[in-house]
Amino acid sequence: MAKLDVEITVNSKKYNLKVGSQERLLDTIRKELKLTGTKEGCSVGECGACTVIVDDKAVNSCMILTAQVDGSEIITVEGLESKKGLSPLQKAFVEKQAIQCGFCTPGMLMSALALLKNNPRPNKEKIKTALEGNLCRCTGYQQIIEAVETAAKEWGV
Amino acid sequence: MKQENKQTISGRDFEKYFQVKNLKKALEIKAKYEDQILLIAGATDVLVENYEKLHEIKNWLDLSRVKELKFLEVKEDKLILGPLMTHYELKNSQRLKQKLPLLAKAAAAVGSPQIRAKGTIGGNICTSSPAGDTLSALLALDASFKLQSKIDSRLVKAEDFFLAPKRNGLKDNELLTQIEIPLYPEESLSFWAKIGRRKALVISTLNLALVLYFEQGLIKRAGVAVGSAAPTPIRLREVEELMLGKSLAELNYRELGEEVKKRVSPIDDIRGTKEYRENVVRDTMVNALKSIEKRREGGKNAD
Ligand SMILES: Cc1cc2nc3c(=O)[nH]c(=O)nc-3n(C[C@H](O)[C@H](O)[C@H](O)COP(=O)(O)OP(=O)(O)OC[C@H]3O[C@@H](n4cnc5c(N)ncnc54)[C@H](O)[C@@H]3O)c2cc1C
Ligand code: FES
Ligand code: FES
Repeated sequence: MAKLDVEITVNSKKYNLKVGSQERLLDTIRKELKLTGTKEGCSVGECGACTVIVDDKAVNSCMILTAQVDGSEIITVEGLESKKGLSPLQKAFVEKQAIQCGFCTPGMLMSALALLKNNPRPNKEKIKTALEGNLCRCTGYQQIIEAVETAAKEWGV
Repeated sequence: MKQENKQTISGRDFEKYFQVKNLKKALEIKAKYEDQILLIAGATDVLVENYEKLHEIKNWLDLSRVKELKFLEVKEDKLILGPLMTHYELKNSQRLKQKLPLLAKAAAAVGSPQIRAKGTIGGNICTSSPAGDTLSALLALDASFKLQSKIDSRLVKAEDFFLAPKRNGLKDNELLTQIEIPLYPEESLSFWAKIGRRKALVISTLNLALVLYFEQGLIKRAGVAVGSAAPTPIRLREVEELMLGKSLAELNYRELGEEVKKRVSPIDDIRGTKEYRENVVRDTMVNALKSIEKRREGGKNAD
């Protein structure tokens, strides 16, 4: 039976894919594109571990059908690192010890990135709101918020 | 095992996936397939509802690309919304914040940034959960819904639309194509609150919307509605009537709180007992009135 043709750009690379109608963006990213940085936690939109950026907004990739994002521009956690090494945001997470087990980290990074792209100088309240949809079972959030604050200071440099 | 379950989500094939670009086409498909097709907008409710059963869905109608269903405009004495407006768009709309801050506030309380980016007001309405955050606001604001089929359309008042938990007056061949909210000339002040356990991602244990329209210090119109306090979100017309023609100073807040409490029929569940909810409903009404009083004195519109 026919599959759907979908063209998406992930981390600046174009992909032409054939997907089933029930394939979630999370499945496409992890299984087809083998970008396993994006994690699956709850599968129902509550934990944020699967967060990626689609057309400049943070979304849960477990809550989207790949068919729905045809033509979109997507960023996953793998898109952060460049030839120069870790991005300032990633460095800030390391520096502030905002990572323990690390399962929530890719999602946290994507929510933080979406925020900073939109608002390079967020206050603490804005940072908290931006991370509301991301659960962390280890750090207690304080270090994560501080990491985003630190990154915001250097943002755009 | 979890891994096995996930295999069933992806991997199987579909029969029909329609990603339509205009309303006409969507209505034709709906006329043909009726309840044999699953309509999605932001898909945030549908994907949870059908978790681990996605492969059972044969036909999909993806409405998300129908641009003509995504708009917000002010026409004469109405604000008109397309059902595809996302909670993110509503929360950030300067126009909405200015004209109907109550609805902007309710939209801002939905889920998380990720959910607000995808979830639509049309999806919130059509899911018809008693807890749907925008629904109490829409009821208090006297909204109407335009339900359209290939052959005709009808306008249904929000308070006549919700029938039972997750059941509404949409027919199998209809789509929700427009939300209409009257704009009144009088000065108005509103309040919306959601009582839940933690800030984000909570399903309301209760939400309450109150809007008062003042003319020369007297309440000319009022809207009161609550969510999660009955099998459907409900508008409390009788409580509204108790306030009409009076000034704020003439109202007995506690009594009005009791009047609201009398009219709700909450359930016991893991999010709160019946008694807890009844008391919270009363106290939230009192707080709503106090908040409006404070802002009326202070002369500012936000709370
Ligand atoms: C993690 C999580 C947290 C959430 N938190 C909240 C919350 O705090 N408050 C809240 O109110 N909701 C919450 N929700 C529920 C959901 O996100 C909202 O109800 C949202 O508005 C649904 O919109 P959608 O576009 O994603 O709907 P969809 O899932 O696309 O559709 C929902 C239903 O409406 C029908 N439908 C959609 N559009 C139309 C139309 N135009 N005409 C006819 N039928 C239509 C669909 O067929 C389907 O039955 C949450 C969901 C998740 C997963
Ligand atoms: S896996 Fe998507 S939000 Fe939890
Ligand atoms: S570091 Fe373990 S969940 Fe966040």
